[in-house]
Amino acid sequence: MANLGAVNGKLLRVNLTTGNAIVEDIPQEIYTKYFGGRGAGTRYLFDEVPTDTDPLSENNKLIFLNGPMAGTMAPGSNKIAVTFKSPATNGIASSLCGGHFGPELKFAGYDALIIEGKSEKPVYLWIQNDEVQIKDASSYWGKNIPETGEGIKKELGGDENIHVACIGPAGENLNVIACITAERHREFGRPGAGAVMGSKNLKAIAIKGTQDVKPAKAGKMANYVKELYKEFANNPKANARRNYGTVEMVDGINKLGFWSTRNFSQGQFEGADKLTGPMMRQEIVVEDTSCYACPIACGKVSCVESEKYGTVHIEGPEFETLGLLGPNCGIGDWEYILKAAEVCDYNGMDTISAGATVSMAMECYEKGIITKEDTGGIELKFGNGEALIAILEKMAKREGIGDILAQGLKVAAEKFGAPELAMHSKGVSPATYDPRGSKGMAVTYATSPKGAHHMISPTMGAEIAGDRFAETGKAAMIKDTQIQMALVDSLGYCSSMRFVMQVDHQLELFKLSTGLEMTKEDFYTVGERVLNLERQYNVNCGMTRKDDSLPKRFLKEAMEDGPSKGQTINLDLMLDEFYAEMGWDKDGKPTEEKLASLGL
Amino acid sequence: MSRKVLTVEKSKCIGCRICEQWCSLTHHGVINPAKARVKVTRIEESGVDVPVICTQCSKAACIAACPEGALSKNSKTGAIKVDKEKCTACRKCVTACPNAAISVHPEDEYVLICDLCNGKPKCVENCPEKALQYLPIETSERIYRSKVVRDTAKGGKRCG
Repeated sequence: MANLGAVNGKLLRVNLTTGNAIVEDIPQEIYTKYFGGRGAGTRYLFDEVPTDTDPLSENNKLIFLNGPMAGTMAPGSNKIAVTFKSPATNGIASSLCGGHFGPELKFAGYDALIIEGKSEKPVYLWIQNDEVQIKDASSYWGKNIPETGEGIKKELGGDENIHVACIGPAGENLNVIACITAERHREFGRPGAGAVMGSKNLKAIAIKGTQDVKPAKAGKMANYVKELYKEFANNPKANARRNYGTVEMVDGINKLGFWSTRNFSQGQFEGADKLTGPMMRQEIVVEDTSCYACPIACGKVSCVESEKYGTVHIEGPEFETLGLLGPNCGIGDWEYILKAAEVCDYNGMDTISAGATVSMAMECYEKGIITKEDTGGIELKFGNGEALIAILEKMAKREGIGDILAQGLKVAAEKFGAPELAMHSKGVSPATYDPRGSKGMAVTYATSPKGAHHMISPTMGAEIAGDRFAETGKAAMIKDTQIQMALVDSLGYCSSMRFVMQVDHQLELFKLSTGLEMTKEDFYTVGERVLNLERQYNVNCGMTRKDDSLPKRFLKEAMEDGPSKGQTINLDLMLDEFYAEMGWDKDGKPTEEKLASLGL
Repeated sequence: MSRKVLTVEKSKCIGCRICEQWCSLTHHGVINPAKARVKVTRIEESGVDVPVICTQCSKAACIAACPEGALSKNSKTGAIKVDKEKCTACRKCVTACPNAAISVHPEDEYVLICDLCNGKPKCVENCPEKALQYLPIETSERIYRSKVVRDTAKGGKRCG
C-alpha cells in the first residue's frame, strides 16, 4: 500500500463464524478506480459475494467503507457506506450514514470494515484501535436502539464518545426495512442492512479510536477548506438547510403538486401549510446538530409534549420521513409524525419504507381489501395517527398483520391481493417526490440499483428550473446526476455539500487529502465505472429491463388535481433514451464495449 | 481592558467538531480528536453538544495539583504552559481540572492543555456558529448575563 495521505489503506475483516479478525491492505488501485464508500464497496461485493447468495445467509457480507477524506477537514466528508446484497431487492445496495461513526472507524485506524459469517449467539464488536473483540450481546438482544447504545457505552466504562452502530428489534426480526442505526439517530437506512446484520446475530459495533489522520497536504487543505467555510456561510441553500433542515423543501414540492399524499394518490396535502420549514422551526425544533466536519448543521432535534405519548424527542424529522409518515398516510399533526418517527427510530426501521408500507395498507383498508379482522381491530384509515403508530409497533415486533408488512410492501401487497397498490421499484418504495411532477425522477427510481431511491439522481432542482414534465431530452442530465452522486457517495461526501462544493472542489480536496493526481475526466470515469459495476452485479443477479419498473399508478393514472394535474409517465420512452445515453442495450445491460471502455 | 478568556456558549454548538480539527492540526500537524485540547461531547439522549474547554482559571487547580512543577501560566495570555520534559503524565491535573479539559497525549507521556494558540485561538477563528469566543472577561460576563436574563424572561426552552 503506497502512502495515500489521509488514507491508511487498512481493512479490518471480522469473521463471525470463526471469530477471527484480521487486518488487510487495501490495494491502491481501489482508490484510483473506485475511491471508497459506495464505489469500493461495490468492487468488494462484486468480488466476494456471489450473485446467487441468499441475502440473509451467512455468505452475505456487510462491507463498510469510508471515503478517502474521512476524518479530515473536508466539509461533510463523514459519510460511511455499507454495501451488501439487499434482502429487499435481492440485488446490490449501498447505504450511507452520516454523523461521526465513519470518522471514528477512521480514527481507530481503519478505512474499511468487512463483517462476514454468522455468530452462533448474539454478539457485538468492540474496536479500540488495534484491539478488536467480539463480545457477548445476549443481554442486549430484544433491546431498542437507545437502550442498546447506552447499555454498551455503560458496559465499556461510560465513555460518551464511544460511537455505537446497532440494530433494534426490527433488525433482529429480519424485517426487510430494518436499518443500522449509529449514535441513536443516524441511519444506514435503506434497503435492509439491519436485517443482514440481524441475520448474522451481530447486535452492535462500538468504536473508539485515537489515531492520526494525515492529509497529504494538510496545510494547503486547511487553507482551501477555510475559503469553503465562507462560501457555505453565504450560500442561500445551505442557510435554508441550517434553519429548516431538509424540511425546507416542503413548500416548493407541495406547491408544485408532487408531494406524496395518501399512498401517492394525490400530489398536494391540504395541511402542508402547517408542515413547512418555518412552521417546524417554530413549533417543534429544540436543537441544531451537525455531522462531523460539516458547517451546515442541517440536523434538527425536535420535541413535542404529547398527552398520549408523553415527551417525544427525535432527531429530525427529515423531509422524507415527514412526507412518508405524514401526508402519505394522510397525517398532518406533528405529534403523530414525531411519535411515528420515534417508533421507527427506536426499533430500527427505515422511516421512508415504513411510511410507504403503512400507507399501502391504509389504502387496502379503505378499499375493503383488508379489514379490521386483518388489522387486529385497528381502524387503519388515512389520517388516523394512532393507527399508524399501532401498526408500526406491530411491524417492529412482527405481530399479527405486522408480520406480513415486515416482509416489505411488495410482498405484503401481493399477499393482500393488491400488488398494484404497492408503490415500489425492485421492492423498495420511492421517496416523497411523486415522479409524475418531476419526470426525471421516474428514471431515477426505476434504474436505481437499490430500488426506488431518490438520491441515486435527485433531478428535481434541474427539472423545476426547466420543463419538469418533459419525457425526452433529459437522459444526459440524469446520467450526469447519477455520475455525480456515485462520486459523492464513493468519496464519502454528504450530497448537501454540493450546494457549495462542485466537482472541481471535490476533486481538489481528494488530491490534497490523498496526494494522488487525477484529471477531471478520470474523476468522472470513476463515477461511471461505479454505476456500471453496480448495474452488472444486478444483471448477474438476473435483473433486466423488466425490473426497472414503476407502479401502474405513476404510469397510467393521471394525477387528479393540482399543478401536476393530468400527468402520467411514459417510462418506456424515457428508459430507451437513458439506456442509450448510458451505453446499455435495449434490455438495460451494459454492453461489452461500455464495460471495456471503463476497464471492467 | 481586562484579559481575554476562552468562552463557550454550549447552546450554539452544533457538534461539527471543526474546533477539534483545527486544534490538533495547529498543534500536531494531523487531524486527531484525541490530540485536540478542545473536545466536543454529545449527549445522545438530548442531542445536546458540549464543547469542553480550558477556561484559564486564575488560581489554576491543575498547577496546584502538579507534583512535578510541570505546569505554569503564560503571564500575557493566562494560558497554561506544559513542560513536556517535566510532565510524567501522572494525571493528577486531569482529575483536578473542574472542566475536565485536560487529557493525556495518546502516544507520548505528557498532558495536553489549551495554550490559546498564543492569543489567536484557531478553534474560535473557525467555529462556524461562534459558539467558541475569545473575549475580554467583562464582555463575556455581560453577554452571559444578557443571555440568562433573556432566557428567564422567555421562560426557557420548551422540552428542556
